[in-house]
Amino acid sequence: MVIEFFANTWLLWILVSVGTGLFWLGRDSQYFNYVFNRYSLALLTLLLVSGVVFVLMEVLPGDCAEKYIAYKNTQGETITQADIDAERARMGLDQPMVVRWASWVTDLTLRGDMGFSCSKRQSVNLALGDRFWMSFLFCMAALIFAYLIAVPFGILSAFTINKTWTDKNPQHTPTERLINSIGMSTQKVLDLVLRLVSYLGLALPNFLLALTIILLYVFAGEPMPTGLYSDEYRNVPWFGDNGFSWGKLDDFIGHIWLPIFVIGWSATALQLQTVRALVVDESNKLYVDAARARGVDGIALWAGYPVRHSISPLVNSIGFDYNRVFNDLPIVAVVIGLTDAAALLIEALSMTNDQELAAAILFLVALVIISMNFFTDVILAAIDPRVRKSVLGN
Amino acid sequence: MNALLARFGFGRQSKSQNDESYYTAGQLALIKARFKRKTSGVVAAWILGTLVMMGFFAPFFSPVDPTINGADPDYRRGAPQAFYFWDENGFSLRPFTYTYTKEKARIDLKALAGGGLNALDALTSSGALKASNQNKYVIDKEQRRYIQLFVKGWEYSLIDLSVGGLDLDIRWDRHLLGVEQGQLHIMGTDEDGKDVFSRTLHAIWITISIAIVALIVKLFSSLLVGGVSGYFGGRIDAVLMSITDAVRVVPAIPIYLACAVALSEMDLTPVQRYFAIAVIIGALDFPTLGRRLRTHILTERNQDYVLAAQLCGSSSWRIIWRHLVPSFGSYIIVDTLINFPYVILAETSLSFLGLGLTDPINSLGVLLQKAQDPDIQQNMLWQFFPVAVFVFLIMAFVFVGDALRDAADPYSEKK
Repeated sequence: MVIEFFANTWLLWILVSVGTGLFWLGRDSQYFNYVFNRYSLALLTLLLVSGVVFVLMEVLPGDCAEKYIAYKNTQGETITQADIDAERARMGLDQPMVVRWASWVTDLTLRGDMGFSCSKRQSVNLALGDRFWMSFLFCMAALIFAYLIAVPFGILSAFTINKTWTDKNPQHTPTERLINSIGMSTQKVLDLVLRLVSYLGLALPNFLLALTIILLYVFAGEPMPTGLYSDEYRNVPWFGDNGFSWGKLDDFIGHIWLPIFVIGWSATALQLQTVRALVVDESNKLYVDAARARGVDGIALWAGYPVRHSISPLVNSIGFDYNRVFNDLPIVAVVIGLTDAAALLIEALSMTNDQELAAAILFLVALVIISMNFFTDVILAAIDPRVRKSVLGN
Repeated sequence: MNALLARFGFGRQSKSQNDESYYTAGQLALIKARFKRKTSGVVAAWILGTLVMMGFFAPFFSPVDPTINGADPDYRRGAPQAFYFWDENGFSLRPFTYTYTKEKARIDLKALAGGGLNALDALTSSGALKASNQNKYVIDKEQRRYIQLFVKGWEYSLIDLSVGGLDLDIRWDRHLLGVEQGQLHIMGTDEDGKDVFSRTLHAIWITISIAIVALIVKLFSSLLVGGVSGYFGGRIDAVLMSITDAVRVVPAIPIYLACAVALSEMDLTPVQRYFAIAVIIGALDFPTLGRRLRTHILTERNQDYVLAAQLCGSSSWRIIWRHLVPSFGSYIIVDTLINFPYVILAETSLSFLGLGLTDPINSLGVLLQKAQDPDIQQNMLWQFFPVAVFVFLIMAFVFVGDALRDAADPYSEKK
């Protein structure tokens, strides 16, 4: 009895105990007080998100009862409107939207139950399974890819932004001027080429890029890297009789680079713009001039002053970058034939009109973004003195 | 203004006498002057301007009517017709193209009717049904067709303001390029015989106009949310901003998708559908700009000029619209321009999934959608021309946006 009660309400207890713990710690620590505030704000935003998602899903045509009945109709039974209404009443769909929303939120906060998917005919948690984590990994890998390219080249781009192509300093000898000019124009050209390449990732729509790569494979006569595994490894377990299946891992990596590359490339352009704007912004500030006046120069000046200071706003935006990357994933998933949550989302939205499944996936994405925002805020407040000062006061 | 440009353009000799114009110049003039110094931005702006002009006056620049009326039934799936100045028959100052005719498919249906399965086998193995065989055409090198300028063709309206209530509809029937006999297909034709080049030109303006409508809607929704939230502050601010945050974390494209699915259930004409999609894209895109506006207004509303306006008896609306929002004007304009490519990409993604605009309308998304057809990928590569135009358009927008962002930043000026 007690065990059953706790099994049905475990999530609520976790949420409440974390909240109480933070509140307890926050009584005499300004920092934990801030963490507690952020925590409650995050929970509130999640509640609002669930409302927004729920309202949006109302616009999808049809409901579960109609779909059930339509299915029965194909089985040769004659269906009347009364049957549909009865089914609706049985599933609780005749209740007003607010009531349904409240019951959905209650189930979710009590035991992490995200409802029932009527096109899959099973609970949403089961239907999603590990697909959500797969999408999550795709997005994170794409983000890392984007950051790895965008951060160094964004800094380079900011470095060359106000530079001229040639060195015109009259104090340099002609040889020095020539050498400097070659260096500076190389930087300029490199910057321009990299910007072109990264913006090409933005301008080539994801689906076209994926299609082009697949086409290249077709023309080369190689097996296409679509899906997640090739046929030979699809049914091989990860941990077989002779230990870990390295062949499967190899095959897996040979397939997943495509979606990661495609969505990562388009994310790079935006990231590059952001890094560039942030570093340019910082490099014009007075403390950089002060450092320059003290004789700090070259890489030491850039790495120690403007770049270091522009990193934390970048970390801060990681949640919204995740949002942007996930945005592109569904269409790529359709083209490549992935079977992750994004593909499920697009199927639920545009083909089966499965409101609860779509709402659950959207909610989970929002959950990831909100928790990322929460953690980056909390960590930045702990390690970055500027952020600490602005959020905690003195 | 000229003095200002001279100062930025031609250097330092007349510095002292122009200093005043620099310090009194408005925000937009400063942005313009800074923008002119960005080479990549200026080049991109010229490319963009050309593309947009060609899109706006698409009927003039396109040699063939892009609708089904202009479709060439004898030249379906036709290859691009190249220009030449000389060949083995001699040189010509006026460029010319050859006469292209398609072979009629020689499918003997009579044999099929009487011959049973053997005849069907013979037909399929002869390759007459293969898609790549349907693309074959004959070039008649003896029959040159010379390119003409300002050719008379189908009538179109050059500028049509009758929609806006004005009685102004300038109609014309001249086209920039054309040939004397038949039609000129610079970039080939599609399955229906519609000219790909003309369709692409028409699609540019449709796509840009969707983006314009969407951005105007976005501007108003952000102004509403940001203005109200920032000006009134307090509880209204808290409520509006938490809703904004909630909308901001939900990925946008799935939401557009849900709305587009709902739209596809309704019985809308293509034009209504087009506006509905633009409005949806715009209306849901308010969080970022709305939030920035709110922050700006929160800091500005305690300034003396707002107090002065309040003491003069201005209403809240008047203060928001006439005093607070204009102080943020240049930022809003720049942000709008920067957002162009993203809105265009959103429209394209929707069309790609078949939920945005659909075929009789020439939007770039509709044309790009064809790229996923294996038949086109293998046999009609010229239908990838819209893709190239699209990439150019987006790149031009992004580079202009980049330069504008730098130019609009008041602190980017080196002291």
